[in-house]
Amino acid sequence: MMSEKSKPRIGVYVCHCGTNIAATVDVEAVAEYAQNLPGVVQARHYTYMCSDPGQTLIKEDCRALGLNRVVVASCSPRMHEPTFRAAAQEGGVNSYRTEMANIREQCSWVHHDKEAATRKAKVLVASAVAKVTHLEPLEEREAGVHPGTLVIGGGVAGLSAALDVAEAGFPAYIVEKSDRLGGHVAELGHTFPDLEPTADWLAPLIRRVEEHPAITVMLDAQVEEVAGFVGNFEVTVLQGGQAQQIDVGTIVIATGYQLFDPSRKPEFGYGRYPGVLTTWELEQRLATGDLVVAGRAPQDVAFIKCVGSRDIQLGNPYCSRVCCMVAAKQAQMVRQALPETRVTVFYIDVRAFGKRGEEFYDEAREAGVRYRRGNVSEVYRRGERLVLRVEDTFLRRTVEHETDMVVLAVGMEPRDDTGVISALLKLPRSADGFFLEAHPKLGPVDTTTNGVFLAGCCQAPKDIPDTVAQAKAAASSALIPLIRGTVPVISETAIVDAELCAGCGMCVDVCPYGAPALDPLWGVSRINAVLCKGCGACAVTCPSKAICLQQFTPEQIMAQVDVLTV
Amino acid sequence: MSSDKPAALIIGAGIAGIQAALDIADAGYPVYLVEREPSVGGRMAQLDKTFPTLDCSSCILTPKMVDVGQHPNIRLMTYAEVVSVSGEKGAFRALVRKKPRYVDEEKCTGCGACAEACRMHGRIIDTFNQGLGMRASIYVPFPQAVPLIYTVDPEACLYLTRGKCGNTFKCKDACPADAIDFEQKEKLVELDVATVIVATGFDLVDPATKPEFGYGVYPNVLTGLEFERLSSASGPTAGKIVLDGKEPEDVVFIHCVGSRDPHGGIPYCSRICCMYTAKHAHLVRDRLPDARITVFYIDMRAFGKGYEEFYDRVKHEGVLYRRGEPSEVYRRGEKLVVRAEDTLLRRTVEVEADMVVLATAVVPRADEAQLAESLSLERSPEGFFREAHPKIRPVESSRAGFFLAGCCQGPKDIPDTVAQAKAAAASAMVVLAAANRA
Repeated sequence: MMSEKSKPRIGVYVCHCGTNIAATVDVEAVAEYAQNLPGVVQARHYTYMCSDPGQTLIKEDCRALGLNRVVVASCSPRMHEPTFRAAAQEGGVNSYRTEMANIREQCSWVHHDKEAATRKAKVLVASAVAKVTHLEPLEEREAGVHPGTLVIGGGVAGLSAALDVAEAGFPAYIVEKSDRLGGHVAELGHTFPDLEPTADWLAPLIRRVEEHPAITVMLDAQVEEVAGFVGNFEVTVLQGGQAQQIDVGTIVIATGYQLFDPSRKPEFGYGRYPGVLTTWELEQRLATGDLVVAGRAPQDVAFIKCVGSRDIQLGNPYCSRVCCMVAAKQAQMVRQALPETRVTVFYIDVRAFGKRGEEFYDEAREAGVRYRRGNVSEVYRRGERLVLRVEDTFLRRTVEHETDMVVLAVGMEPRDDTGVISALLKLPRSADGFFLEAHPKLGPVDTTTNGVFLAGCCQAPKDIPDTVAQAKAAASSALIPLIRGTVPVISETAIVDAELCAGCGMCVDVCPYGAPALDPLWGVSRINAVLCKGCGACAVTCPSKAICLQQFTPEQIMAQVDVLTV
Repeated sequence: MSSDKPAALIIGAGIAGIQAALDIADAGYPVYLVEREPSVGGRMAQLDKTFPTLDCSSCILTPKMVDVGQHPNIRLMTYAEVVSVSGEKGAFRALVRKKPRYVDEEKCTGCGACAEACRMHGRIIDTFNQGLGMRASIYVPFPQAVPLIYTVDPEACLYLTRGKCGNTFKCKDACPADAIDFEQKEKLVELDVATVIVATGFDLVDPATKPEFGYGVYPNVLTGLEFERLSSASGPTAGKIVLDGKEPEDVVFIHCVGSRDPHGGIPYCSRICCMYTAKHAHLVRDRLPDARITVFYIDMRAFGKGYEEFYDRVKHEGVLYRRGEPSEVYRRGEKLVVRAEDTLLRRTVEVEADMVVLATAVVPRADEAQLAESLSLERSPEGFFREAHPKIRPVESSRAGFFLAGCCQGPKDIPDTVAQAKAAAASAMVVLAAANRA
């Protein structure tokens, strides 16, 4: 029996959405039909429910007619659910007692027959009315925030992210696995497209980080465990055999990449011929000025691109994004160091896309670097020299190219320990093995775990400016909860009926967010409402039907479905 | 909007400006988001699908547009332009010119009765649809516009251009909200802000600068952006790829129109054309399974996450990628012919086409120089705004407290634009936090 107070008094609001809905659905008929549904006190239709006059209509009805539930038949809830929840709340109706019937995306936009579309819209409205009848009021909730950010990785991405967090006035903790800051970039002599010495800008960056009062740098350290949730992470860091706990509000992952191991392409002779080296090794040789191969300066140097990239057989179908420019840089530097030496770059496509990238590629060619389009199939020795066998795609025949030094432009791969971090923070990975961002277009640094963000090459290969931009982007996301001081927590969480729970733990296994845990004393499942994202995986898994998701209880869903299946 | 905290000014409300505004506002600082067009959304609102996931562009963009329209910390100023910004980091004063819409923003409900009634209905070139459709003198650029408020086009309205519109204002008579107001005047507004983000976007090169491709001569030579409107479900053909009522049998795409061309065009790479053309080729294959599709390219630059994989997929869908630079497009009977030097076959080839799509170069806004002067910002040699350091300071501009987001700094795709916009937001938050402490 429902008490008088919770007896449904429902308002139904049918939106025309200009002509978006009204052209295909007879909105007047839908409103008229809704007026006679059980519990409905008032049904109206209006041109734009989301507009100020439309919202005012709802608010005034709520107050004047003493409504306690609202149904809006309009667009997708993704679009305007927050709008109408807020309008209902202002009218004195608990915002969780609103329900939307999507008669635009799921009706008027996909049908042409007005009569049938109107019939469908009526059923969708009736279904929403049936559900709203059973909805219970929920409270808006917030949680506090530990002011600080953990940055995992001390390369350029981690340094950039930590600096923004610290400059905005919050503590940043950099946990770096190795014994120094700077990551891969610290080992680069010069950077494209200006051939600027890396140390000129990297050293001041590292100094700023080391001297910043709000930044704690932990070298030779690793993250051992992460507990908690956005705003309230408890991180255990191992350093020198000692564990310590750091409390932070947000986490930035900036763990970087590893280079492709060219011994997996044995046809290029890496490790077999001393004259075959990687771009990484050439970088060190250029820094020391030692370009000698087999006791003398090379007369010919050949670069092979896409080693370990764009290679479906190897399982690395992706492009590593930087190798074209690295090769253009090194080829120019070899020409500068050894002006008599012939330098050839074998390529498939030259990807010089960054700012001043194409110009730099032009400069390489002007400096006498020869670009030859072709697939290198093999490197072998002939006497004192090395020979590349190349399918020249311009000449359309196989040619041999004699050389003294072969430079393999090795690509980037996800680090071997990506799985460890992934397990620690429950982060999914994309097909290429890198961390998966929340949305490929609009959420490039967010993850599916609230409060955890991605920076740099751990998400996908990228060059330094793109890494810095992404790191600062991650800092922006990480700063938002810190500056606000609170995080919103969803209210539509799963709840456990302890009477029914058998303590089997299947909910613990299935939850992607670590929200349920078995109570050690009572042996039943308890759900941490702050961790719960309301996905419902536990509710459908539970064999005892002990878990239900608020706003989606079996009673509510069945009421909604029953009307649809009439 | 809370007024006790320092505010940010963002110039331009495309996806870069929108994302930067949302981040700063979510952190609790007030944001003035100034957009010169009647609606927010920018270029992304004009796109059909997005590569490489083929997400519908409006479907992922419009929720963000709605968010900026409703955010308690964002004051949206559309149809407005920043005239000047004086002062220094932490204490800027911006002068904003609010252009008259001739429609009362408080009263207009966006019902569209005015546009239906307008004498010029269906007779004004629809610039949002790249001229492929027609609209009225009073208009919203697209149905999902934010704010959903009509605007009188001062260059198309009979009354505003000739001082007379028949015996009675049809739009005023039709408006149920009494929102149309031809007495509206331009307004100047002063804003005090601590930091500024410039997110003014890009233009596309005028394909008429490459006359050999016949753009403007042959109606079935389109630009990439025109193709977006053609294939968009909300475009003038409701997503049907038809020209003059006919589905094309042969479609040819040409990369690098104006890009990578230090002699006739611009020296740099426009960064997005390889991938959007791959997407276009896929869309043609999807809608017209029997079409013959050829893409002429120089280098295929599929460098982003999932891009090479998408390129592989499109090649496997039966799209012919030919390496070569077309030299000419001309008519032969009913068909167009694309003549190109195929650099792999090492001979000149001719490919017939019913539709030719030009991947036109991304260039600085036509008024970028003027804006640079009024905002005291430096530009790089190619004309985009110059960042403070090409490696380590990609979003700082040459003026302290001003940050750059999106394509006004150089061509970039949507994920890189979003990342850079959030990066600019982070830099702005640092300034705002310091100003807040002071």
